[in-house]
Amino acid sequence: MYAFVLGFAKWLEGTGWASVIRTTGIYPYIQLIHFSGLTVWLGTNTVVDLRLLGIGQKHQTAAQLSEALFVWNWIGFCVVVLGGFLLFSGIGTTYLANAAFEVKLGIFVPLALIWHIVVQRKVQKWGQASEVPPIARLSALVELLLWLCVVTAAVEIPNH
Amino acid sequence: MWESLEHMGWVTFLATTGWLYGAVSVVHYFTLFFFIGTIVLVDLRIIGIAGRNQTISLLADQLLPWTWIGFMLAMLSGILLFATDAGDYAPDHVFRAKMLVILLAVILTVIVHRGQWKWSQLPVVPLTAKLIAAASLLLWLGAILAGVDIAALSGLG
Repeated sequence: MYAFVLGFAKWLEGTGWASVIRTTGIYPYIQLIHFSGLTVWLGTNTVVDLRLLGIGQKHQTAAQLSEALFVWNWIGFCVVVLGGFLLFSGIGTTYLANAAFEVKLGIFVPLALIWHIVVQRKVQKWGQASEVPPIARLSALVELLLWLCVVTAAVEIPNH
Repeated sequence: MWESLEHMGWVTFLATTGWLYGAVSVVHYFTLFFFIGTIVLVDLRIIGIAGRNQTISLLADQLLPWTWIGFMLAMLSGILLFATDAGDYAPDHVFRAKMLVILLAVILTVIVHRGQWKWSQLPVVPLTAKLIAAASLLLWLGAILAGVDIAALSGLG
């Protein structure tokens, strides 16, 4: 499995666009794509989680808010993945040898993503009333913590 | 002046204590993603391509408080990070450009905040409102670009 991923990373590094990313001044713009997507993705996630935790304006229920932000939540995710894929393409084999990167993409991103999908589905039931059940508050807190773990692992990448 | 900030006890402690510096970085990144996301969503709503099922003010009233809270946290963590290398950051052109872009973005965000209720009442969102929202959005993305450029162009951070 790892050999396959490594082979894929090597192939990506050899592509024309990967070379462009490595050698021209385009790299900051690739980071911009990844980070811009993250603003929408993390922004929409966090707003709903905070609402489930009972913090913030109560004009709408958590369910209504989640529904309102649903499309852009996943558009944000697509932009994050696009930017991340391009960042990876340039020096993928280096990232695969980085412990922080492996923890980020191998452990925390899958965990946080699955948890997010669960919360997003459940919020339609949990977030109906103004009184949010304790399990929903706990789940929202866990989601926030998981995304914080993802960002922490990402921040650690340059240090490993 | 900036060198003396850098050499203060608590600043050198932050600069040399890996886990603490990392934690402040995480706060900076997470809160900036969060607060810029909230204003981007409001701007997209004003422009007319997001959340059209709610009125502008319904979305803005719930998101804009977070924009400001998140901005405060991003700014506080940013000041801490700046302090650890103030002597190098302060004269850096890219860092200064980032500060200018943030200032402009904040001004545009204030205009959006003050205009959103009024624009929400109108049957059609005025073109000027959409242009202001677009400017706000582009300036905040510009702030992110300036931020990543500090490392890319100046080798700092």
